[in-house]
Amino acid sequence: MRLQRTAGSLRARLTAWSAVVIGTVLVVYTGGVFLFLRASLFEELDRQLHDEVDLSAAALSRLGDGRVARLGGSASGPEQIGYGLDVWNLDGALLYSEGSEAPNLPRPGAAAFQSELERVETIRSASSSAFRARSARVQLDGLPVLLRVARPEEPLLDELYEFLVAAALGLPAAVGLACLGGYFLAGRALAPVGKMAARARTITAERLSERLPIENSHDELGRLGTVFNDTLARLERSFDSLRRFTADAAHELRTPLTALRSVGEVALGESSTSVAPETVGSMLEEVDRLSTLVDALLMLSRAEGGHVAVRAERFELRELACDAAEYLDVLATERGQRITVGGAEAAWVRADRQIVRQAVLNVLDNAIKHSPHGTGIRIVVGRAADEAVLEIIDEGPGIPSEHRERVFERFYRIDTARSRETGGAGLGLSISQWAIRANGGSIEVDDATSNGTCLRIRLPLDEPGSGTESARQQHAAPSDIRH
Amino acid sequence: MRILVIEDEPKVAQALEEGLTAEHYDVVLATTGEEGFFRLAAEAFDLVLLDLMLPGRDGLEILSTMRRRGMVSPVLVLTARDAVEDRVAGLDRGADDYLVKPFAFPELLARMRALVRRGRPDQVLRLQAADLEMDLISRTVTRGDEALELTPREFQLLEYLMRNHPRVVAREMLAREVWKETNRGAVVDNLIDVHIARLRKKVDQDRPLKLIHTVRGVGFVLREGQP
Repeated sequence: MRLQRTAGSLRARLTAWSAVVIGTVLVVYTGGVFLFLRASLFEELDRQLHDEVDLSAAALSRLGDGRVARLGGSASGPEQIGYGLDVWNLDGALLYSEGSEAPNLPRPGAAAFQSELERVETIRSASSSAFRARSARVQLDGLPVLLRVARPEEPLLDELYEFLVAAALGLPAAVGLACLGGYFLAGRALAPVGKMAARARTITAERLSERLPIENSHDELGRLGTVFNDTLARLERSFDSLRRFTADAAHELRTPLTALRSVGEVALGESSTSVAPETVGSMLEEVDRLSTLVDALLMLSRAEGGHVAVRAERFELRELACDAAEYLDVLATERGQRITVGGAEAAWVRADRQIVRQAVLNVLDNAIKHSPHGTGIRIVVGRAADEAVLEIIDEGPGIPSEHRERVFERFYRIDTARSRETGGAGLGLSISQWAIRANGGSIEVDDATSNGTCLRIRLPLDEPGSGTESARQQHAAPSDIRH
Repeated sequence: MRILVIEDEPKVAQALEEGLTAEHYDVVLATTGEEGFFRLAAEAFDLVLLDLMLPGRDGLEILSTMRRRGMVSPVLVLTARDAVEDRVAGLDRGADDYLVKPFAFPELLARMRALVRRGRPDQVLRLQAADLEMDLISRTVTRGDEALELTPREFQLLEYLMRNHPRVVAREMLAREVWKETNRGAVVDNLIDVHIARLRKKVDQDRPLKLIHTVRGVGFVLREGQP
């Protein structure tokens, strides 16, 4: 769940980042286009003004009285609107003007009169609208004058304004589209992460041979997966070598144990007086304990390596419980305890009966050992959902909650002193746990029990419908009595 | 009775030689596969004890060659490999029985006896030890004049002890033969102890001559007098 959420927020973050980046790029681009557009519009206007200055200089001439007039009469017509032309002598007197805007224009500044060069500037008319003005010093029939042509900037500014409006409307839409695209792309790119996480969750110490799915080993996720898989492979190798070490060590211990045992037993068999039978016997007892331990270790390492064959058959769990109870009844009777088997329903399972029986015997034996004299031990077989449940409940001292998770660990002892005297190497429950897991079940210590211990074994139910013919005939109970 | 022991571990080999000699077997020892093989080719033996992991020539190889050449002596394989495949491989190649190391010496003796008398039917109908008698047909047990009430399991246990009387039986043998458990675990050990205690109560309590004895570290024995 948590992984899922992290991937989701990563997707959102990627989307946000792509939106920010695309938005910024668009803003900068739009700004650039605006500046370029503005510059080129002004350049065009300036060029037009320049042409008009040249044309006007050619078209104007000086009259005898010192006034200036356009050759072929004064210009008129629509082109006069939004346009102003005036001619000044260098003393600052207006010699000529034409165009609808000319009266509104301010007088050129002193700098314009002194400058030898053409000048382009933005001036404000009386109504304070902006005009682009080009002034140049020209000779009108030998008289140096200042000729100025001005046109309003307004149409140009309008054009720029429209561009800005279009950009302002288009930009959010573009960013929105980028968000959608980014979200989609991020989802696609991150999809393998979800798959890898789902697979990684199923990889446990028992299933280290599994690997993450890799869609493309050359992209970043593929490389991550490859690295992860390499790590898994190394982990698997070291687990394997640990297992092999346990197996090898256990195996190698058998040779000296054989020697010890044979030598001791042969020595005891001889009626010589050179050996103390008690001493040799005591040593043999320890050899026996060591052998049992080595066997158990070997069995566990082999089981974990998957080298123990599980032969599944269909059997009824309550019948197995009765069998186990009867088998160990003599031990309970010795201690004044009573074993009872309860549960009304038949619970059929498909598992290796031999292995499951050994596990149940181990747990039951444990319960007998740890329960006080004269108490009762109950075995209850039932069904919960699609599982068969076998509970072994004793009235012993119970297992403190901090130990409940760990009692299945190898060599784990709750109370060293007590376990020593009841014997056992501390591997019984580990083996039981393996046995039940190998059959697709689980084993746990009930958390809720306050006095005594309740050990619960769960195995998948094998319903009559899915069973074999003979099993179906044996067990004709209706399958609708599930809780 | 001549026995060939092919075993490379010196201490085990020596103990086997000593123990078997004490049981009046004529023991020939070979400490390598080669040596064992040449011995087999040169002489006849009533029984071969064969270690599977040997330097030089592998035990399984010796076994195959023996059977290929038509040597029929029974072979009891001693092996530290107890994986199922190894057992099957050993039996496939003509071994008659196997024992997993570390084995109990009394069990080795019992297996050897079983192999040697193989084929001869066991026609015993009555078992007797001192004043303890067992009738295998009526399934009754008496000590002196008194009939003993035994549970079926106690009867099986006593029968096994009496059949092996006066030899020691190991816990492994009881687990396998009486309780039919393939693996001897702590659970069976407890059961054996309880049943032996109960049997002892019924057979020996309040009698001057005790018959059931514990041989510490080895097992149990039914015999008159001291173990």
